[in-house]
Amino acid sequence: MNLLLNSMKDGKNTVKVNNNINELTFFGKITASMTHEIKNVLAIIQESSGLLEDILDMSESNEFTHKDRFISTLGRIQTQIQRGIDITSNLNSFAHSPDNALAKIDLNELVQNLSLLASRFARLKRVSLVTELSDTPLIVQANSVQLQMDIFSALEMLLQHIENGTIKMIPGKHEDQILLHLHYDLLTTDQFNIISTSDQWQNLTHCDWGRIKLTC
Amino acid sequence: MEELNVLLVDDEQEFVTTLAERLEIRNMNVSVAMDGETALGIVENESPQVIVLDVMMPGLNGLDVLERIKSIDPKIQVILLSGHGSTKDGIKGLKLGAFDFLIKPIDIDELIIKLNEGWKKYCESQ
Repeated sequence: MNLLLNSMKDGKNTVKVNNNINELTFFGKITASMTHEIKNVLAIIQESSGLLEDILDMSESNEFTHKDRFISTLGRIQTQIQRGIDITSNLNSFAHSPDNALAKIDLNELVQNLSLLASRFARLKRVSLVTELSDTPLIVQANSVQLQMDIFSALEMLLQHIENGTIKMIPGKHEDQILLHLHYDLLTTDQFNIISTSDQWQNLTHCDWGRIKLTC
Repeated sequence: MEELNVLLVDDEQEFVTTLAERLEIRNMNVSVAMDGETALGIVENESPQVIVLDVMMPGLNGLDVLERIKSIDPKIQVILLSGHGSTKDGIKGLKLGAFDFLIKPIDIDELIIKLNEGWKKYCESQ
């Protein structure tokens, strides 16, 4: 480490760190590791609130005036723990995206995961993000990071032009082509024309795995 | 009626001690270990019937500990515990003789069911 710092200070030598992991893999690895830590924290909170509930259950109702209020508050804590677990699990899957450059991916799973990860962006525009998944797996061979970026870019672009309403993400198959259908319930013709003719959207319609289709 | 002897093995101390307290409330005898070596010592001396074993631990990992437990006493039933949803460790663990596999955080009712099933299996193999 000292050698590295001295060399950087001199500015004479270029110090290259010899490793086999690229930036995305590095960020993914660290993020995945942190999600495990967060899950441990959630597990401790869950067991602690569960223990409080056990202790309350052991006491008679007349022994403790505020028993019902405690139980309902513990219920809220449990709900938020479950929310934390869901978010952390999604973040963990996302962090593992760069593990393989090219992988067989079920578009259903990817869309479900991404809808949760992107829900906050939608919520800031008062838009609900929902999914309508296919009954059968929709396997595509793709770069998971790139695929998620494409879908996220489409969502982001759509969100730039809208406020309120619901975006339904519908992965499906049409004539042997796997595609993702984004349906926005309040889309006007003007908005549709702007979005569907933008350069970025045109690129998205030519993804290798299929295409993203916008409808209202 | 005989009480179930459980050993909880996890390097997260707060998790393992709180869970132990919850199981004790439910009339189980519970020992705890924060690492694999300690767990193996308890297996030799206290003869637990069912063990809840974290997969990822510093030093000996859960799968290594599982193999050693099974070589000491194959009757002992081991429930593996993991912080992530990967089934790879679960499948590996089942091949090594684990009784079941749970994902952290765990639901206490589900754990109780698994512990009792493990205990039943232990008694049947006597």
